Amino acid sequence: MSSEGALLESAQEAGELELEVRGPWQEAWRRFKKDRFAMFFLMVFGTFFLLALSAQVVELVQGDEATYAKSLAELGLDFPESHAPPTSRAFPLALFGLDWSGRSVLLRVYHGCKVAFLVGTFGGILSVLIGMTLGLLAGFFGGWVDGLVVYIYSTVASIPYLLLMLAFAFILKQGGFATAYRESFLANYVSLGLFNIILVIGMTSWVSLCRLVRAETMKVRELDFVQAARSLGFGQFRILFKHVLPNVFHLVIISFSLTFVIAIKTEVILTFLGVGVDKEPSWGSMIAIAKNELMRGIWWPLAAAGGMLFILTLSINYVGDALRDALDPKLKD
Amino acid sequence: MEQSLWGRGPVIGFVIKRLLYNIPVLLGVALITMLLFNVASGDPVSIKLGKAAKESQRKALAKQMGLDKPLVAQYGDFLVQTVTLDFGESWNDNTPVRKIFLRGVGPTLSLSIPAFFTGAILSIALALLVAYHRGGWLDRFMTMAAIAGISISSLVYILVLQWLLADQLKLFPIWGYEYGWGALRFIALPLLIWVLLSVGQDLRYFRTVALEEIGRDYVRTARSKGLSENRILFKHVLRNCSIPIITRLVITVPFLITGSFLLEIFFGIPGLGSTLYTAIQNSDFPVIKAFTMLGTVMFVLFNILSDVLYAYFDPRIRLS
Repeated sequence: MSSEGALLESAQEAGELELEVRGPWQEAWRRFKKDRFAMFFLMVFGTFFLLALSAQVVELVQGDEATYAKSLAELGLDFPESHAPPTSRAFPLALFGLDWSGRSVLLRVYHGCKVAFLVGTFGGILSVLIGMTLGLLAGFFGGWVDGLVVYIYSTVASIPYLLLMLAFAFILKQGGFATAYRESFLANYVSLGLFNIILVIGMTSWVSLCRLVRAETMKVRELDFVQAARSLGFGQFRILFKHVLPNVFHLVIISFSLTFVIAIKTEVILTFLGVGVDKEPSWGSMIAIAKNELMRGIWWPLAAAGGMLFILTLSINYVGDALRDALDPKLKD
Repeated sequence: MEQSLWGRGPVIGFVIKRLLYNIPVLLGVALITMLLFNVASGDPVSIKLGKAAKESQRKALAKQMGLDKPLVAQYGDFLVQTVTLDFGESWNDNTPVRKIFLRGVGPTLSLSIPAFFTGAILSIALALLVAYHRGGWLDRFMTMAAIAGISISSLVYILVLQWLLADQLKLFPIWGYEYGWGALRFIALPLLIWVLLSVGQDLRYFRTVALEEIGRDYVRTARSKGLSENRILFKHVLRNCSIPIITRLVITVPFLITGSFLLEIFFGIPGLGSTLYTAIQNSDFPVIKAFTMLGTVMFVLFNILSDVLYAYFDPRIRLS
């Protein structure tokens, strides 16, 4: 070790010098950690993620139908009683009561987690990929590329969101696409309804990110370090992905958290309207059924599904806000 | 030149320019809609006739609907429909789509217009209030309440409030509609729910806007002149906030047509939302297509209006 290094270290030990160098991501994480609520909600989110993951594993191991048959057997119900209220039985699976066909509400909301995370994660990833790629290309290359991208997103953004989503979801359920999908290998893992929702969210909710990334890329493109990279003779795409992308990536993360929430809420509404998930147990289908149950005093399926939905949405909303404050401190003022 | 900033010439020129600029956008939307319904849907003819129809029937219908023409011609047909606002007849009961649309506008607007104004006034007032008490317990409470409020699914809101206030407490009718003044009784509860939902969303935005203004130099100047906090808030801050507030509100106007979608379904209001819902349930293509196009046209027009207002209220921005 050089003498300079040793000197530095001794100075640090003595607390005279703080030479800890933090990257922007570490800096953001430090800011994020300060918000105790945000950390709490991040843990809630993590718990939901583990629940969803385990539900997926359970389904892969024993299959959908088997789960319920088994749960009923565990309940000791030969003829499952429909609409048994919560805690009317001493079995843990009946904790949230039973639904109209005598299935455990607890198990249904548990498997609903899986649908929520699939929709949120893959819908979010698809939307972010489209928005980010188009935004980067438009902002970086300008010219006709920019013109084309701006035209595409103005067109998509001109259709009111709900109408666009409904039209897409409706069409995907009909005819050609549905048949093709049912024959593909994917159909063994993800039902058509679920896949449609992911596709609809990806195709319809990328515009705001695309706008942001495009504007930010235009700014970054003119900065000195990009000019320096150019003068070093780096290729266009190398500059784009290695130098520009990291500087706009915080926008992608913030947008992902927003899209995640939109996706989960969209699943509920589309499923309620009859163009969403139809096979798997999902919070949306539980709420859709609850429409006719609530007036008859059967509140537990709605309470369970609505409650889970609320806790998950709240935690992502809060974490998303904290992320935005941490990653983009300029916005906070 | 300065004089004509808000003179007649530039405004009309600006509007025309924006309209022209939006023509390709509308053409694109029409193309997406046409491709979705005529091509991606697979086989509209069998959706209308059912799978058992005879080949001769199918051919006749395809010809009648113009589906045997090349795609370019189908696109042309759809453009003509859009321009003439004549989207043919519903597949469900053969009523002209235009008639269906006009029938639904009244009930929809009877709910959405009062809801829009009540919601807007309430969120602006609350936003100013919390901005005034920024950092205090009221501000923190409202911010938390708003974030919790927007985390509840709108479906759950509607279900629970309908059950609680109409079914259990019998304060409002559960379902139905009446034309004329009788509508008031039926729109009261959906209106309440709408206002609750929109305040949750707008409050956060308006609060940010108000706080941004409060941090500006002119507010500091006003304070140092010894103006009262009230005067600063209502005389100076509110005026300057009005620009982002108005633009946001104007942009939401087209959604007043479709916005009450869920509420209309739940409360049996025979408006455009219910109409669209029925159309989706029945795979009624002409109605859904017409909704998509008309919704887009409205959206584009109000976007232009919002830009014009923006420039009207903020002389720093020039129409160009």
